[in-house]
Amino acid sequence: MRCLIFGYGYMGKIRYQVLREHPHVSGIKIVDPALDAAARAGLEGVWLAPTEPIPWDWCDAAFICTPNNVTAELCAEALRRCGRVFCEKPPGRNWEDFCRITDAAAAAPSATLMFGFNHRFHPSIEAAKALIGDGGLGEILYLKGTYGKSGGARYRENWRSNPEIAGGGILLDQGIHMLDLFHLFLGELSVVDAVLADSFWGCGLEDNAFLLLRSERGIPTFLHSSATLWKHTFRIEIGCRDGYLIATGLLSKTGSYGREQLVIGRRQFEDQAQALGNPREEIIHFDRDESWGREVHEFLAAAKQGRPAAHGTLDDARRVMQVIRDVYSLGERRPAAGRR
Amino acid sequence: METLRRIIQSQDQIPLAAVKPIDQGFLKYRAQCLKASQAALRHPAHRRASPVSGAPLSPAGDVEGIPYGCCPDTGGFFMLELPAPERWREVLVETSGLRRSPETLHAELAQSRTDTVYAPKLEWIGETLRLHGMRQPLMLEAVTEPSSFRTLLKESALCSDVIPVDETKLIAQRVPGGPFQAAVLLESLDRVSDPAGLVRGVAAHLEEGGLLFVTALVSSGLDFSILGLNSLYLFPPDRTNCFSLQGLRRLLQRSGFDLVEESTPGALDVQIVREHLQRDPALPRSVFERQLLEMNDEGQAALQAFLQQWGLSSFARIVAKRRKVIA
Repeated sequence: MRCLIFGYGYMGKIRYQVLREHPHVSGIKIVDPALDAAARAGLEGVWLAPTEPIPWDWCDAAFICTPNNVTAELCAEALRRCGRVFCEKPPGRNWEDFCRITDAAAAAPSATLMFGFNHRFHPSIEAAKALIGDGGLGEILYLKGTYGKSGGARYRENWRSNPEIAGGGILLDQGIHMLDLFHLFLGELSVVDAVLADSFWGCGLEDNAFLLLRSERGIPTFLHSSATLWKHTFRIEIGCRDGYLIATGLLSKTGSYGREQLVIGRRQFEDQAQALGNPREEIIHFDRDESWGREVHEFLAAAKQGRPAAHGTLDDARRVMQVIRDVYSLGERRPAAGRR
Repeated sequence: METLRRIIQSQDQIPLAAVKPIDQGFLKYRAQCLKASQAALRHPAHRRASPVSGAPLSPAGDVEGIPYGCCPDTGGFFMLELPAPERWREVLVETSGLRRSPETLHAELAQSRTDTVYAPKLEWIGETLRLHGMRQPLMLEAVTEPSSFRTLLKESALCSDVIPVDETKLIAQRVPGGPFQAAVLLESLDRVSDPAGLVRGVAAHLEEGGLLFVTALVSSGLDFSILGLNSLYLFPPDRTNCFSLQGLRRLLQRSGFDLVEESTPGALDVQIVREHLQRDPALPRSVFERQLLEMNDEGQAALQAFLQQWGLSSFARIVAKRRKVIA
């Protein structure tokens, strides 16, 4: 397959590396008019100059790795022109952007469209999924997630901190992954309450979001998404009837989220353990992240077979965007506690 | 294929005395094992090559006059002399019987060993099968009879059935009822005279993608690293081979398996070393080792947890997947 990558920033580079190593990819071209000479080094023959037309006729699949303000437009065009589209999260700046993608997808019913929710493919999450329910730990009682980063010295300068370009703050940028995982475990969620705060960075976007959600079956869920977690944190706690799971850390390029691991604890009352409330735990450490490769592999396989992708579907994207829409709507109704 | 490193961190402190105390029964069992091995070695054949890499074994010393060699590539201790395979099988059969004798090994600890040794293994196998989406596989157990674990496996309903096969004969046998979806080698690789042949035999009986569960005591862990051949737990035939973790890994990989998990969830390294030093204060140890072993209980628990977490305990578990055969 011949792949066109729109945007060669952080995500574009990751996708490029994965596609380069994929056995079914015969060609890659990169469209990014903002690339400077240094960034273009080593991309001769791959990078398209701004004057060159987009080679829609050449490409079999398009990867949208752009800033949020152009995502919807490009995604819609790629659906029309190419029909096989992988779109990074978030699927647009807001609900309206997302609806443009939905409309374009509806007009191209045979298209393959997948969104980049790679956290589903992380080994700790896959293992957790296998262990709940019939996997031994029983039904879920509650979910609690914390996902955050420190922002960094140039956080304010990044397009992600520009309301016009990004459309939302840390919840839309990073918390969306945790919301997707909540949906993976619990299905449809609705917003019970939310508090948004722009407490440190002052960019006019939330740098902290606290969400209280509930599944259709009434299972409570809590998310803290933050751009002021000075210690980078990924942590999801899954309380089940017969035990609990705690996934922490993420295998990432920098390793700043810590070693990826899954704690498995089983409910033990005083008749089964010496120390009540302090059960025996097992910890699985994961030393390899294949989430990027597996996600792209699934997309390319779906595209090749002309079927919908199994993950990161339009419906998955709708679920998270609905929650984010409702949370922002709540925040706007309560400006004192909400976004500036 | 993902690599998982699974560890057990438990608030339960498992006392050595509850699992494998160095008591009179153990010492008697050890003496009888050594006697049976020495008798079998009256007409030995020399084993010169490492079963892992094929490199010449370098002399490492002896255990009660029985010489051991070391693999120069991966470490590990291996008996340098072995009798004919059939004769070694007789030793395994004889000592396996001793292991169940109320006069020798840990008869009074049967329940405790079920709770602390076998139950975690069952949990490990069950959880791994779930993680790999494998429901009730047909399982092969390579063993020298009798097997206490098979009864527990069958009762657990984790497998549709468990078929035993003699661990010394698997390479030459066609086991009826196969191919199998899973196989278990509980310290078998430590005992048999041809560990590479045993792994190849298992591979031949497993379906592509089938899972192999291996447990072994490994020389790369703390207690064997400190005690070496002075460890009272290192004797034939139970430790005919004492692979390093790296050696086990290589043995499996070159025999048609991909590793999907390796861990060292051992809980006893520190206690084992302390026990040996109490019994024989003259055993050599460095100042650093002395400091480690003189830490308080909290420090020692933290050290044991560290060993578990980084693959440095002497009890290893590996899950390997039968590789696809490329025609």
